[in-house]
Amino acid sequence: MPDRLGTICTTPNGVAILTLTGKHTVSSRDLLEYLYRQIAIMAGAEEIKGILVTGSESGFCLCSTEGAASPQKASHLSDFGQKTMFSLEKIGKPTIAVIEGECSGVGLEIALSCDFIVASQPARFGFPGIAIGQIPFCGGSQRLARLVGKSKTKELIYSGDLIDAEEAYRIALINRLYPAGEAVVKAEKLIEHICSRSANAIRIGGEVVNAGYDIDLQTACMLERDAFALCFSSFDQREGMQAFLDKRTPHFKGE
Amino acid sequence: MPYKKLRIEVANRVAYILLDAGSRFNKLSVTTIRELKRAFAQIEADESAHAVVLSGYPGESFAAGADIGQMVNFSSGDAFHFAELGQSLFDQIESCSKPVICALNGITMGGGCDLAMSCDIRIASEGMRIGHSGAKLGIITGFCGTHKLPHIVGKNFAREIFMTSEPYSSADALRMGLVDRVYATDDFWPEVLQLAERIASHPLHALSAAKRLINAAEDIDLRSGCLLERETATHINSLSC
Repeated sequence: MPDRLGTICTTPNGVAILTLTGKHTVSSRDLLEYLYRQIAIMAGAEEIKGILVTGSESGFCLCSTEGAASPQKASHLSDFGQKTMFSLEKIGKPTIAVIEGECSGVGLEIALSCDFIVASQPARFGFPGIAIGQIPFCGGSQRLARLVGKSKTKELIYSGDLIDAEEAYRIALINRLYPAGEAVVKAEKLIEHICSRSANAIRIGGEVVNAGYDIDLQTACMLERDAFALCFSSFDQREGMQAFLDKRTPHFKGE
Repeated sequence: MPYKKLRIEVANRVAYILLDAGSRFNKLSVTTIRELKRAFAQIEADESAHAVVLSGYPGESFAAGADIGQMVNFSSGDAFHFAELGQSLFDQIESCSKPVICALNGITMGGGCDLAMSCDIRIASEGMRIGHSGAKLGIITGFCGTHKLPHIVGKNFAREIFMTSEPYSSADALRMGLVDRVYATDDFWPEVLQLAERIASHPLHALSAAKRLINAAEDIDLRSGCLLERETATHINSLSC
């Protein structure tokens, strides 16, 4: 089963590349279950420092758009989809979605649950489900609205239209737009660069960003203050600051 | 008491707080933060000033982050108090009754970036570099940046900036929405002055009310925000009749 839906390869530098090779014949349930298992594996693998989630030019984790058989089944699927996206968001390692083809429906939900998205043409993004009466169900309506604003989100979900990489870059759905064919190579360099930083600081920082985003400034700043203070009992803080003062490259342990 | 790390000038209803640590880069040391708190309190009380410009002009940096030499041996307790000190300054700037324009003349890193985000408007000189180098130093920011940056540039750009720890160009910053305007080096200071003087020419009570309302909009729901706006407008708009 797994090899039908995707592959993971880990580079010597600790970057896991999860390639989702979905097809329109794969059910979204199977795709989500596959993803959920891979997330658990990657979270627990010590040698994995950072993660790229990618697809192929034909599409980023395509799956069938068949409706659920009953409201109960639809509800279970949504529950499981949301749980999967939260587990991806909280994986504790940097994640970048790398898009070079169609990224729609569940595919876009997955991309939105990564730390950020990079792409190259002919990437396209959208939620086409509306044409058959479907709306996002893995948290996509909420994540997209927080990222590109309410109006753009409504436009995308109501119309069901796919937008191209240029437009996605313009509305800041994607952080970087690379020349065609170079996205994976460039993203690999970028995540390797990120992995040379303190894994500890990156994890704590990401968690504080997520935890603080939906709450008021004062409460969020208290959370941040405590997390900031916690960094000063870490190896990485001593090493990072000493290296800065010594003008040398730090050797982080992620602790 | 004289200032060691900054200068204050007031002209045409605009107060200028100019960071000037006397070294190549301005750092947000404990002393600088305390002086900034004192400077904002002084300007708050100065009735001749209707707007504030905060800058490192004409130096090479706006503020190049905290003083690492000072921080390297911080205990968690020291860090806790340092975060509280910085956050209290940023709270003071946000609740300052006058509009605060941040003129980013050069390098703006870490705490300098957080300082800029506590101001109302950010204008950058073309050569400015801005970023957050915490992950390179093994820490996160403690100056409200984890809340402010995602709300200004969106979560995804915020995470990228924190994770790479790299400085970003003024063009990148403009695209992400981290700065509101970018000017060529020669036009930068005249443009800052012009905008500041135009803002300062407006009635202060209306500027203050607008600032309070817009800041409140971040934290409260739309209905309560509109209620607040109605009550505020009823009061403020009747003053100009």
